[in-house]
Amino acid sequence: MSETQACVVVVEDEPQIRRFVCDALGKEGCTSLQAATARIGLDAAAAGRADLVILDLGLPDMNGIDFIRDLRTWSPLPILILSARSAERDKIAALDAGADDYLCKPFGVGELLARVRALLRRHWHSGESMPRHQFGDVEVDLVRHVVSRGGAEIHLTQIEYRLLAVMLANRGKVLTHRHLMQEVWGPGYREQGHYLRIYVGRLRQKLELDPAQPQHILTETGVGYRFQP
Amino acid sequence: MRTLLPSDRRGGRYLLAAALCVLTTLGAAPLRELLDLANIVMLFLLTVFVCAVRLGRGPAVMAAFFGVALFDFFFVPPQLSLAVADAQYLVTFAVMLAVGLITSHLAALLSERTEEAQAREQETRALYELARDLGGALAIAQVTDIARRFLGRLDMDVSLLIAEGGSEVFPFRQYGGRHLSELEQSFARSAYQRRSIVETDSLAGMGAAIVFLPLAAPAHVLGVLALAPQRDDVDELRQQRPLLEAVASLLAITLERLHYADAAQRGELQVAAERLRTSILSSLSHDLRTPLTTLVGLADTLVHRQPALPEDATETAGIIRDQARSMHHLLSNLLEMARLQAGNVTLNKEWQAFEEIVGSSTRLLATLLADRQLVIEVPRQLPLVCFDAVLLERVLCNLLENAVKYSPPGARIRLFARAGETALEVAVDNDGTGFPSDRIDQVFNLFARGEQEPAVAGTGLGLAICKAIIIAHGGMIVAENRPGGACVRFTLPLGTPPAVEEEGSA
Repeated sequence: MSETQACVVVVEDEPQIRRFVCDALGKEGCTSLQAATARIGLDAAAAGRADLVILDLGLPDMNGIDFIRDLRTWSPLPILILSARSAERDKIAALDAGADDYLCKPFGVGELLARVRALLRRHWHSGESMPRHQFGDVEVDLVRHVVSRGGAEIHLTQIEYRLLAVMLANRGKVLTHRHLMQEVWGPGYREQGHYLRIYVGRLRQKLELDPAQPQHILTETGVGYRFQP
Repeated sequence: MRTLLPSDRRGGRYLLAAALCVLTTLGAAPLRELLDLANIVMLFLLTVFVCAVRLGRGPAVMAAFFGVALFDFFFVPPQLSLAVADAQYLVTFAVMLAVGLITSHLAALLSERTEEAQAREQETRALYELARDLGGALAIAQVTDIARRFLGRLDMDVSLLIAEGGSEVFPFRQYGGRHLSELEQSFARSAYQRRSIVETDSLAGMGAAIVFLPLAAPAHVLGVLALAPQRDDVDELRQQRPLLEAVASLLAITLERLHYADAAQRGELQVAAERLRTSILSSLSHDLRTPLTTLVGLADTLVHRQPALPEDATETAGIIRDQARSMHHLLSNLLEMARLQAGNVTLNKEWQAFEEIVGSSTRLLATLLADRQLVIEVPRQLPLVCFDAVLLERVLCNLLENAVKYSPPGARIRLFARAGETALEVAVDNDGTGFPSDRIDQVFNLFARGEQEPAVAGTGLGLAICKAIIIAHGGMIVAENRPGGACVRFTLPLGTPPAVEEEGSA
């Protein structure tokens, strides 16, 4: 890792999983603090040196959601959740409670490190202003409100632009349907999920090379969307 | 319960009335000189009154006539003759007879009323006891026993016919009573269907008179109460109809109570079984997933080790990792199937774009699809469809995986979708060997495999899950062979998506 050595708190009750996660983090140049229970995990995160928390949702001593809410009351640390593939409801609850991303079990070292890197990068650069973004052949100038593709300006409606802006501001992060509806349309539209589906579809048609196989505006089935530069 | 006295006792009453009249005559004879004739008339009237109260109307009427005759014969001059010397005695006779008849009528009416009231009270008490007994009944057999005991006192043969569906001709289950003939069964059915009493008598060419009372609870008709008096007396049966109707309604209420109690208990059991199943599934899923996660992670750690392990060790570690992954995949499919087969999956349906799950499933299978030529033909303007995205993604993944599994590297795999008139039509086909033509209709069965010999890894779960999911969505799925490969097509009902307010121009 190019940045200063990161410190990751791994909260996981299964010692073998903890072991290989910490092993992988070590190879990446991170130090890790192992925690078998939520209590120890919270204490380790509070000790002050942590840059990232990796949290298993199925902890014996505390509901993972409560852990996130508790942590979020005093810390903006990025949180990566480990959960079963079929547990969409838990994932949504965790993301809405303030988690940043999730990884489905079983996962390989490569997937884990990719997520960790992305989260750490965002964490470290969170203070920086990003007036301009570039992905694929698309350029977005947030100052001048101009979106262009391959040099030619594209017209986005207000809602499309707002949706894109929210996604750009949360690059790499999973955004739940609820969260996006709230951010773009406001609280009254929270149950009108089909609006989001339609506008994401339009954005894809304007910005993606192949809207049926998008490379940047990705679907996290049953959970929400993720923008990947 | 009104019961008429046997005829020999009835005759006895008349004799008794006559005897009382004779006794009065004998008692009054010595007083003939002391008492005025008017007072002797009073004695006879008293006798008539006593007869009316104690013996009933008939004997009292007889006593009135007999008394007048005796009075005339023994007391009115000329005595010992029915001739009357003084014509004014005729008035005495007429008044005496009239008073006697009126008194006897009134007195008899009174005693009849009393008797009736007593009978009604008895009936009420009996019904009350029946209700109390039925209140404690816990099973239909018990209800039958109680009804039999109660109606048995009226010399009736009792059958309870409880509606249980079954055959169209005789949709009942019979509790107690004799076997019903075909004709009787059809009467029972008509009482049940029309909700009205059906009565037959022995003249209808049947064994005996029989009455069918529908057991109608407020909500629905629960069955039929069939009653056959053993003495084959239709009039009596008609007389007792109000009582029988009361019994039928008590039975109906009891049966309905049993029905609801049963349903409630069954519901509770089902909930408990469901909870158990869910907890078994989730703990199974957790307990099996954890070691597989460890296996995949540790093996992958070995693959990525720096400095690298010898080439064959790295390769072995990679195989372990991939096998553990496919085992996990199998486990997920198994658990999903168990959940779907439990039959009460709640679909998390939302209006969404089908295109999205095309993108997400091809991304999930990117490595698998890397050496196939994937062609996606999904029009840009598909309408929104209401479906459970997670489950539909599984359908697409399973179909694509199958398409890869049964085709050579480099083969073309096509994912096609279009909006039909009422349904979204989706097809996944590949260039390959196709389904074995003799077993193409079995591919959706659990654990059916495309090839006799399991040359290709898999369990035959995939298509069965696809079918369960599509059926749950109200769609259809078929497998077929086309020239040069296999094709699976499915549909999803289109419906009317919710309206979208377009924003004003930016």
